[in-house]
Amino acid sequence: MSMEDYDFLFKIVLIGNAGVGKTCLVRRFTQGLFPPGQGATIGVDFMIKTVEINGEKVKLQIWDTAGQERFRSITQSYYRSANALILTYDITCEESFRCLPEWLREIEQYASNKVITVLVGNKIDLAERREVSQQRAEEFSEAQDMYYLETSAKESDNVEKLFLDLACRLISEARQNTLVNNVSSPLPGEGKSISYLTCCNFN
Amino acid sequence: MAESLPTEFDVVIIGTGLPESILAAACSRTGQRVLHIDSRSYYGGNWASFSFSGLLSWVKEYQQDSDIEEESTVSRQGLIPETEEAIALRKKDETIQHIEVFCYASQDQDTEDNVEEIGALQRNPSSVASTTITELDSACLPEERQSYFTDYEMPANHTQKSDKEISLGITDVEESLEKEKDCGDNTCIHTILGGHKDEDKHTVEDNTGQAKKNRITFSHIVKEGRRFNIDLVSKLLYSQGLLIDLLIKSNVSRYAEFKNVTRILAFREGKVEQVPCSRADVFNSKELTMVEKRMLMKFLTFCLDYEQHPDEYQGFRQCSFSEYLKTKKLTPNLQHFILHSIAMTESSCTIIDGLKATKKFLQCLGRFGNTPFLFPVYGQGEIPQCFCRMCAVFGGIYCLRHKIQCFVVDKESGRCKAIIDHFGQRINAKYFIVEDSYLSEETCSNVHYKQISRAVLITDQSVLKADSDQQISILLVPPAEPGACAVRVTELCSSTMTCMKDTYLVHLTCSSSKTAREDLESVVNKLFTPYAETETNKEEPTKPRLLWALYFNMRDSSGISRSSYNGLPSNVYVCSGPDGGLGNEHAVKQAETLFQEIFPSEEFCPPPPNPEDIIFDGDDKQPEVPGTNNIIMATIDSSEESKNLESPEKHLPH
Ligand SMILES: Cc1cc2nc3c(=O)[nH]c(=O)nc-3n(C[C@H](O)[C@H](O)[C@H](O)COP(=O)(O)OP(=O)(O)OC[C@H]3O[C@@H](n4cnc5c(N)ncnc54)[C@H](O)[C@@H]3O)c2cc1C
Ligand SMILES: Nc1nc2c(ncn2[C@@H]2O[C@H](COP(=O)(O)OP(=O)(O)O)[C@@H](O)[C@H]2O)c(=O)[nH]1
Ligand SMILES: [Mg+2]
Repeated sequence: MSMEDYDFLFKIVLIGNAGVGKTCLVRRFTQGLFPPGQGATIGVDFMIKTVEINGEKVKLQIWDTAGQERFRSITQSYYRSANALILTYDITCEESFRCLPEWLREIEQYASNKVITVLVGNKIDLAERREVSQQRAEEFSEAQDMYYLETSAKESDNVEKLFLDLACRLISEARQNTLVNNVSSPLPGEGKSISYLTCCNFN
Repeated sequence: MAESLPTEFDVVIIGTGLPESILAAACSRTGQRVLHIDSRSYYGGNWASFSFSGLLSWVKEYQQDSDIEEESTVSRQGLIPETEEAIALRKKDETIQHIEVFCYASQDQDTEDNVEEIGALQRNPSSVASTTITELDSACLPEERQSYFTDYEMPANHTQKSDKEISLGITDVEESLEKEKDCGDNTCIHTILGGHKDEDKHTVEDNTGQAKKNRITFSHIVKEGRRFNIDLVSKLLYSQGLLIDLLIKSNVSRYAEFKNVTRILAFREGKVEQVPCSRADVFNSKELTMVEKRMLMKFLTFCLDYEQHPDEYQGFRQCSFSEYLKTKKLTPNLQHFILHSIAMTESSCTIIDGLKATKKFLQCLGRFGNTPFLFPVYGQGEIPQCFCRMCAVFGGIYCLRHKIQCFVVDKESGRCKAIIDHFGQRINAKYFIVEDSYLSEETCSNVHYKQISRAVLITDQSVLKADSDQQISILLVPPAEPGACAVRVTELCSSTMTCMKDTYLVHLTCSSSKTAREDLESVVNKLFTPYAETETNKEEPTKPRLLWALYFNMRDSSGISRSSYNGLPSNVYVCSGPDGGLGNEHAVKQAETLFQEIFPSEEFCPPPPNPEDIIFDGDDKQPEVPGTNNIIMATIDSSEESKNLESPEKHLPH
């Protein structure tokens, strides 16, 4: 992938309890699929989708937890240099909502300060089984200074909107950062990946 | 947690250090069902990196370890039929000893009333939920701080008073050393009371602002603690080494970022100097004379293909490398550079080993940059985690904070069948991989362990100032007397994301002959001076100042032959903890060797499929190719977009 492919590249990571629909959201957005069965998605590391926003190509690299959330064992390195976090719960599962503070604590510890966080209540197609009211979630997200959206990976409700709005925010954030040009603090992601190092060398 | 672990696996791996994590990735990659567990709450075992508060908790954990020794063991009866027997695992980690902490930075809290890591305080504190967050944090941090101060015999609520005591009493570090307090087993906490404040002078400094900028207090460090990623084991990656090759081959490299080590330093006659190592360096060096430059180039060029010129060294086979260097018409200056900074060998090493090491150094040079080494951004502790992620991506199951009671061995076949965890749950598998420190004293009674001495320092300046303050340097300090060990010093700057701005994180490592402090303190004193505010501006401080220091010894379980462990079933494989070497070659070799023993016909960590052409299992008919080709056009009204940017709205527009 050469630099000319896109104008912006952002790393977005998903977190939240197991079973809330993170993998489905990613697959719905990147592939337009909703998996019928619950086949484990072996080998899925991250998915890439390039979107065009106002004529600019934005490459979104969307990372899934690889199942490490199941026993609360996500590696810290997963959060490194993420530009945005999608914190997901299941609106039909109170427990997944009650775990949010715990997830936020992990974010505070390991993610960059500048990360944008979006709270997503998934599975709104199951409205009749709702356990977490929209208002509660709204209040929570407001208090935590997060964006908030409800989605259905199954019905493809708000899924594109989620990622596209996020992309817009990330672009404007990136623009502001280059304007402010905050050199004082070293930015994460300043290091080089090996592949980059390799391709830039001659031997 | 509600969910319990599955109970059938192919491979169970206990410990998340580097070799175990590489093995986990390798096994999972071949389709084995892998369970990877660690008894601790963090990844990496002794390969981990910690934030500052995390490191203080780690210290505390070792201080308290003895209290929780008698943890109730769930009865194994009933779980183990008569045909089987148990091999108990160790309940308490014993790999870390002689922890000593010194704080030189000022601990007065005049300006800061809440000493907490930044992070929790950033969100709106008024809401219920964020209170929960803050509570969670304050539950862990200030408590820690509290006890930290208590250890120093300085209760936080009496700071004023103790401040006065300090300024009255002690001005001299040597004297204050006597305040050390024994905190149980082999863990000491010392108070260094050098950094006291002079009220009046201080006010002036505050007003000028300038002086204040340079003043880093203990509370700054605590507050910015999240910026630290402090490695328990200090290593670098050889740019032509096994680990780099494995990272590239397996594609695990995509999870990490690296920086070049920018300088190789040497310590000679009380001075730190930069070693010129690339051609350009050699030619630009101000320290070397023209003649020396030519000599060095000539010798290094020879080293690059020394095998082709056996006549050059055949006659000296009986000599050591250092004796050989003397015969090569090299000045003492150059001999020192080559021996200690380029070959990085002991004086006594053989000619061939010295030439080999020099050649390796030269070959590694220039693959990625100016020196032959790379350092992982956020610390060495990232590397095992990267392999764990690869394992998880291929279906491996991860569970931290999970203690294991024992192996279950079939009496007849002598093979291990299962493990039993702290809940009394039995988990079956075909192969078991365990890190040395989990094995019981009984299993290890015949094993003789080496030790590594470590020091971790937070300092305010580089050991060698340069145009850029963002340097990553490695320095080998030769032994003061023959027979002693050389000390390896790595100095990391804040752009490695391992320490806060305006500080340096310095790691010292050597193989132990005594306690870490006894082994390393003399080198620390040669390079640094304890922080003391009163000294500022009197004379230009030539040495960087120490703000904080930690010493500890770590067990080195590398190079232990399998047969020294008592009674381990043949399908239980042992990985060692970190070794004292500079590179990670030992861990990679061990992982590959064990993998080939277990799965002789499988490839070790082949490149994974490109995420852009992943095939899903399940019922998907035709897996579309995700990725770059799927461009959707989203035309968003620019006025609306800019509204989003500026409006203080916190919700995505519905
Ligand atoms: C002291 C020393 C350092 C070495 N460092 C490296 C290294 O960093 N990376 C590596 O791959 N191999 C290094 N080598 C090995 C050696 O340079 C190579 O094996 C081989 O010479 C490369 O040939 P080349 O034609 O590709 O490059 P060369 O033409 O030899 O040039 C290699 C580099 O050195 C610079 N250079 C060459 N001559 C001079 C000079 N007179 N003054 C200033 N700069 C000069 C060049 O600009 C270039 O950047 C080093 C050898 C020695 C003796
Ligand atoms: N009804 C409904 N089910 C969903 C939705 N999203 C995911 N699921 C189901 O929830 C389960 C867990 O989804 P998954 O994406 O694997 O969750 P993850 O563990 O967070 O990655 C699966 O059975 C999905 O089919 C949704 O929007 N609506
Ligand atoms: Mg998932």
